[in-house]
Amino acid sequence: MPRLAWIALYRSLTRDKLYAALTIGGLAVGIATFLVLALYVRFETSYERWIPRSDRIYRVDTAVQFPGSPFNGAYPATMAGLFEMMREDFPGLIGTRIRGGDRAIGERGGAVLRGGVATTEDVAQVDPSFFDVFALPMVQGAGAGALADPTAALLSRSAARRYFGSADPIGQTITVSMDAPANYHVVGVFEDLPKNSELHLAILIPIPKTPPPSEWTWYKWGTASVATFLRFETPEAARAFAAKLPPFIDRRAKVDFGPGASRWLSQPLVPIADTHLKPMGSESASRQLMVATLGTIGLLTLLIGIVNYVNLATARAGLRAREVALRKVVGASRAALIGQFLGEAIAAVAIAALLGLMLAEVGLPLVNAAGGTSLAMPYGWALPLLAGVTLVVGLAGGFYPALVLSRFPAATVLASARAPGGGNAGARLREALVVLQFGLAIAFLIGTVVMAVQMRHLRAADLGFRREGLITIASLADPKIGQDQARTMLRALQALPGVQSVGTANIAPGGEGTSNIDIVEQPGPPGTGPMLRLVSVGPGFFDTYRPRLLAGRLFDNAHAADDSSDWKRWNLGRNVILNRQALATLGFRTPEEAIGKTVGNPRPRTIIGVIDELRFFSARTADTGSYYMYTPNAVYLHIGAVRFTGDPRAMLDKVEESWRRIIPQVPFRGDTADHRLADLYREDERATRLVGIGTGLAVLIGCVGLWGLAAFSTARRVKEIGIRKALGASASDVVRLLVGQFLRPVLLANLLAWPLAWFAARTWLAGFGDRIALSPLYFLGASLIATAIAVVTVLGQSLRASRAAPAWALRHE
Amino acid sequence: MIELNAIHRAYRSDEVETTALADIDLSVQAGEFVAIMGPSGCGKSTLLNILGTIDRPTSGTYLFEGEDIAKAPEAQLAKLRRDRLGFVFQSFNLIDELTIAENVALALAYRSMPAREKRERVDAAMDRVGIAHRRNHHPHQLSGGQQQRAAIARAIVGEPKLILADEPTGNLDTENGAQVMDILTRLNADGATIVMVTHSPAHADIARRTVHMLDGRILSAVRRAA
Repeated sequence: MPRLAWIALYRSLTRDKLYAALTIGGLAVGIATFLVLALYVRFETSYERWIPRSDRIYRVDTAVQFPGSPFNGAYPATMAGLFEMMREDFPGLIGTRIRGGDRAIGERGGAVLRGGVATTEDVAQVDPSFFDVFALPMVQGAGAGALADPTAALLSRSAARRYFGSADPIGQTITVSMDAPANYHVVGVFEDLPKNSELHLAILIPIPKTPPPSEWTWYKWGTASVATFLRFETPEAARAFAAKLPPFIDRRAKVDFGPGASRWLSQPLVPIADTHLKPMGSESASRQLMVATLGTIGLLTLLIGIVNYVNLATARAGLRAREVALRKVVGASRAALIGQFLGEAIAAVAIAALLGLMLAEVGLPLVNAAGGTSLAMPYGWALPLLAGVTLVVGLAGGFYPALVLSRFPAATVLASARAPGGGNAGARLREALVVLQFGLAIAFLIGTVVMAVQMRHLRAADLGFRREGLITIASLADPKIGQDQARTMLRALQALPGVQSVGTANIAPGGEGTSNIDIVEQPGPPGTGPMLRLVSVGPGFFDTYRPRLLAGRLFDNAHAADDSSDWKRWNLGRNVILNRQALATLGFRTPEEAIGKTVGNPRPRTIIGVIDELRFFSARTADTGSYYMYTPNAVYLHIGAVRFTGDPRAMLDKVEESWRRIIPQVPFRGDTADHRLADLYREDERATRLVGIGTGLAVLIGCVGLWGLAAFSTARRVKEIGIRKALGASASDVVRLLVGQFLRPVLLANLLAWPLAWFAARTWLAGFGDRIALSPLYFLGASLIATAIAVVTVLGQSLRASRAAPAWALRHE
Repeated sequence: MIELNAIHRAYRSDEVETTALADIDLSVQAGEFVAIMGPSGCGKSTLLNILGTIDRPTSGTYLFEGEDIAKAPEAQLAKLRRDRLGFVFQSFNLIDELTIAENVALALAYRSMPAREKRERVDAAMDRVGIAHRRNHHPHQLSGGQQQRAAIARAIVGEPKLILADEPTGNLDTENGAQVMDILTRLNADGATIVMVTHSPAHADIARRTVHMLDGRILSAVRRAA
């Protein structure tokens, strides 16, 4: 740009500092929001892409499709022995299993023992071929081939520092416990894994060649306990292999599923880069939805910022008409003028982009705190992106003002006392842009309200038990704990002051534990019948959770048939308790009707009681019918639950203290039930907060734009206001006129916002089994808030305009 | 009808205080036609604005039909302008975005009366100044004389007791100026009180009394026989 053009830009920005602050500031906030959310999307979609040759790695999932089963869906794991069978049938197959160390499957990591005391660690058992798939960068030693030695261990850089300090870890011995404690010698150190990974690997040890004693599901089809990864050189090779799997499953799974097993069971291959955002089990695609939503909010907030810029720029364009006319008179071509204004726009957007980058840097810690993320700004990514945004926004935002300005006919402009303002078309375009801006902002607002209400609903939902005053101890289910040790532990817990009752079950609130489904066979063809969740409970379970008893009685040691501890006696007929939903699944109309009835063919189960639902799982998964079995002599595979009074923190400390005394060889894992339940919705809570922040900023930019437009329009209407006042309009008449002028686009914006928000909210809510109804109140409320904000925004200026002495206003040009 | 006593009006800018009006005493009887004359910057328009309550005196009293309104609240003044005053400006001050009929109707916009009556009064006012055939045009489509007649229609549509005209013929050629003066004379004959600022001695002669001003003061008042 020539020097004079720079001067013109500098003066046009400094002449009206408020205007410059509004246009550039609004755009900067939009760019900052966009940057931060783009960073979030980038992080969420970058999972596992850091792994060398990640495009060739596939995870094998287990997908179950039983007609009518609540557990249908794809799980990110396979049965432990699947990879062995695959290698037998498909020689030359490259792959590895990861047992433990993957939090996507559950907290199945191991522990490191030092001085007889165990601490939890991300231990993973892997195949010796692990490094053929995951070529992790090594710090010391070699990875490939190292794990052929059954006593070799590889440590991550930080694990090596944790256990050996500054000493050389190579050759050192470490005691690691997965199924049972054993000694390993360190043969290598690998780089720590980055944060954008579902893999959590601190210690790698070889996976056992034969199943450990506690693992009876090692070759049990339909189970999912280890992660299996395969490597294929081309997507075609992967597809060709996938095509061979159904016959393989039919051949191999016949033992557990009968003929035609591939009808119900499949082992889909998922590219590893897709695994992070893939829905798990019966969950809906909530993560994908959230990433897409936040990405869209980022883009739309940027759009609002751009609209703001265009709007204020065109509104102000008229004020420079005289400059344009004079430039034309001295010989500037239209192209030169367009070039000048586009250049100005790009320069202004570049300033906004720099400011936006600064804002994003300043805001990142806040966003990280609210969203539980650890985003950082990589400049190699941000600067080219910003340059692109600057160019696109500069051209898009500057184009219309440049076109309008360069079209002003010089003679008319110079002859007339008034500056043209883009005419009615300009006003209509500005109004349309305000409608767009506020429409989006109101839609965001509605979305935030719906998310916040749904989250509150989940927090306060009746789960069928009291979530306060309850501690669950997941580590009690560790197979390394014997029956006697578990009993001693439960007795010690019962004796703690403040403890009211202690119970056990194979599941606990928050979704921990093992999930079992059982087919309650009906007379007819074998293998068909309703499916129920089977919950095995120990003594004290019902005292601890206190479900509502709808009919019949609870388990009782006096009835021999209540005790299902010995599975060999199940065929003799056992007593069970149903929950309300199982009642419907089995076709009973009332709880009373079910009492005394026997269901299930080869294993008769007699219903002795019906309880109301105990909801331990995420509302994202559909609630299932369950039946409860009493296994008082299998408590060592159960999760403990403690009902207590008093301070939860102090109680948790006391529980952990007892644990360390009685079961030091297994790391303690326990928490309050309300924490565990909150964990279910942590991602949703974070997303709600991020959406809330995005919404706040979008509304802010919208208001900045509206304020600027109101300032501009009011300034242009000073004379009209003077005339109206001379004709007897009172101050309130003038305020009503001006506020009304801006209220119309804001009200119109609701027409845009409501369907948009309704559709988005319905899609999001569909992911919850237990969800709020989409009340019109949320829509009206959000619109009311937006309207109130808009009124307040333009009210100040309208009041000022209405108070101006009409004699002054009439002289105003 | 109007009694101004010791009216003083000063404007303050950053450092300078300019006296626009000093010690003005003026009374206007109902039914009078008063012309105010004087060189540019002598305070004619300021005086007219104060008479029209769209500007306030710095000190002094302003009795309108016996009531002191110099310090009356803005809402009361707005009501006064709405119901009893009509304005005609040199630069017409029509709103470009509205048609002639809408501009005229603007003077009734802040009164509550049935829409039909408003329409009838707007039509009557436009008929009276001979502008009815231009009712759906926008101001910039009209000649200066037509615009001024529209502005007069707007001033009289509310049937004001006092019409204030600030150089109503200043932007018009002789013929159009004469037409506007005819309308004003007719209105005065029909009973309206008129105060008019003008540079034209010929137009001032049409008024029954002429007030001469210089440097914010009234020099003399010439009264002619009716």
